[in-house]
Amino acid sequence: MENSTEDYRIQSFDLDTQVLLKTALKDPSAVNLEKVSNIIVDQSLKDQVFSKEAGRICYTIVQAEAKQSNGNVFRRNLLNRLQQEFKSREETRARSLQEWVCYVTFICNIFDYLKVNNMPMVALVHPVYDCLMRLAQPDALMNEEEVDCLVLQLHRIGEQLEKVNGPRMDELFFLLRDGFLLQEGLTSMARLLLLEILEFRAGGWMLSSTAHKYYYSEIAD
Amino acid sequence: MSEWTRDRRRDAHRSQHDERCRRSGPSQWSHCRKRGIDGSLRANREAEGCDRENGRHTDNSYRHSDNRHSSFTTPESAGPVSRCGRQADWGSQVEDDEMRRGVHRDMQRYRRRILGAEVTQRERKTSSGSSGSCDSREGENIETDEAVLLRRQKQINYGKNTLAYDRYIKEVPKHMRQPGVHPKTPNKFRKYSRRSWDQQIKLWKVKLHAWDPPTEDGRDNLLDNIEELGLDDVMDIELDFPTLSDSQNAPAALSTHSLSLEGEDCLGTPVKIQKTETTAESDTV
Repeated sequence: MENSTEDYRIQSFDLDTQVLLKTALKDPSAVNLEKVSNIIVDQSLKDQVFSKEAGRICYTIVQAEAKQSNGNVFRRNLLNRLQQEFKSREETRARSLQEWVCYVTFICNIFDYLKVNNMPMVALVHPVYDCLMRLAQPDALMNEEEVDCLVLQLHRIGEQLEKVNGPRMDELFFLLRDGFLLQEGLTSMARLLLLEILEFRAGGWMLSSTAHKYYYSEIAD
Repeated sequence: MSEWTRDRRRDAHRSQHDERCRRSGPSQWSHCRKRGIDGSLRANREAEGCDRENGRHTDNSYRHSDNRHSSFTTPESAGPVSRCGRQADWGSQVEDDEMRRGVHRDMQRYRRRILGAEVTQRERKTSSGSSGSCDSREGENIETDEAVLLRRQKQINYGKNTLAYDRYIKEVPKHMRQPGVHPKTPNKFRKYSRRSWDQQIKLWKVKLHAWDPPTEDGRDNLLDNIEELGLDDVMDIELDFPTLSDSQNAPAALSTHSLSLEGEDCLGTPVKIQKTETTAESDTV
């Protein structure tokens, strides 16, 4: 299935970079893939919109490179950058909540899109869980941005994550229940988000229609 | 490997993952890892922390796996990488994981093919020919050791990741291949000794060199290398032995720049030259 370039959300890049990315999609061997992966990672850490969809463009480039030259340069560099950022995530969080949230969104998006033989990349499972667990800590629950990020990721990849490691999902949800029940100072929005995700998982990673009505009917109107 | 060394390494390894290893309790982890990556059930193993890179090889009694993992090579490394220095980077982990899955998938396909062949053989009631090499007997004799298969797959990948191989498969479709003439990828699922396998790989790669791309000025690598080594005079001499005129062996022999052929001393050692695919043979005779 052909994705139109709009799907990749590359409008936020300057024109030269857009050309570079488009070339990477069609003819990976014509570009410096290491550079391309760095550009994508850097932008994902700054741009919330892009971080939510960057997985798609990454997936296409990985496929294109594999098909064209059986190469792995792009994926390897992407993963290693992700790993670097993962190691320094606490500093990132201290420096900029926005960047931290972008990082989590990005790594979850990569987890979602970049599969290996149709299975999630095993190497990412624990790091993703670590990130989500961090978002479920008391200090993070106080920030709506972080709660919002957490529930968004669980909506998108929660089911997959649970399949590859059930116990860690259980562990995460212990924290979420505790946070919902015990944490003082949570905003009502934060509590709403937490309640919704609790129901979502309890319902087998979907909301019953009545629950959906409760949480989302105002948005529809 | 002694018990003590192995334990020490394991501890060092485990502390690397301390961050992620907040969970303790074998019951939780063994619940996770009852199944291998490909989904097949494994025998119950004692779980030891979060040794994810080793995947399933965490059992005390599975000593063999530690030895094998120490010889686990990565695409970039020239040879076995020690366990402590083993790649913990995600790029390598994903590649290794991908290769492992590929090997398992190949094995299932191969098994199905073999079983199919066996059934056909039985139906025809023909007796098998030479022992060991006949497919109908391979059902019992498949190489299943994962570390061995992975090592072999890596060696195969090195050979297939060449321009020569690309050109070869484009030029000669599989059904047109003539045995003996056209190189055939060694079958990683057959039981072979290490030496036998390594030799097969070597010979296969040597044969593939016949499809090396020509150099820019149109002459083939063979002539270039000869000139580089200053062998023009040598090449003018009438030669008795077959090596240098044999298209299969020559490219490999003379493409090793470390070869120092002096006068006639080396001309009488075709066997040694054939062996030097990648190793230096500066002290030939």
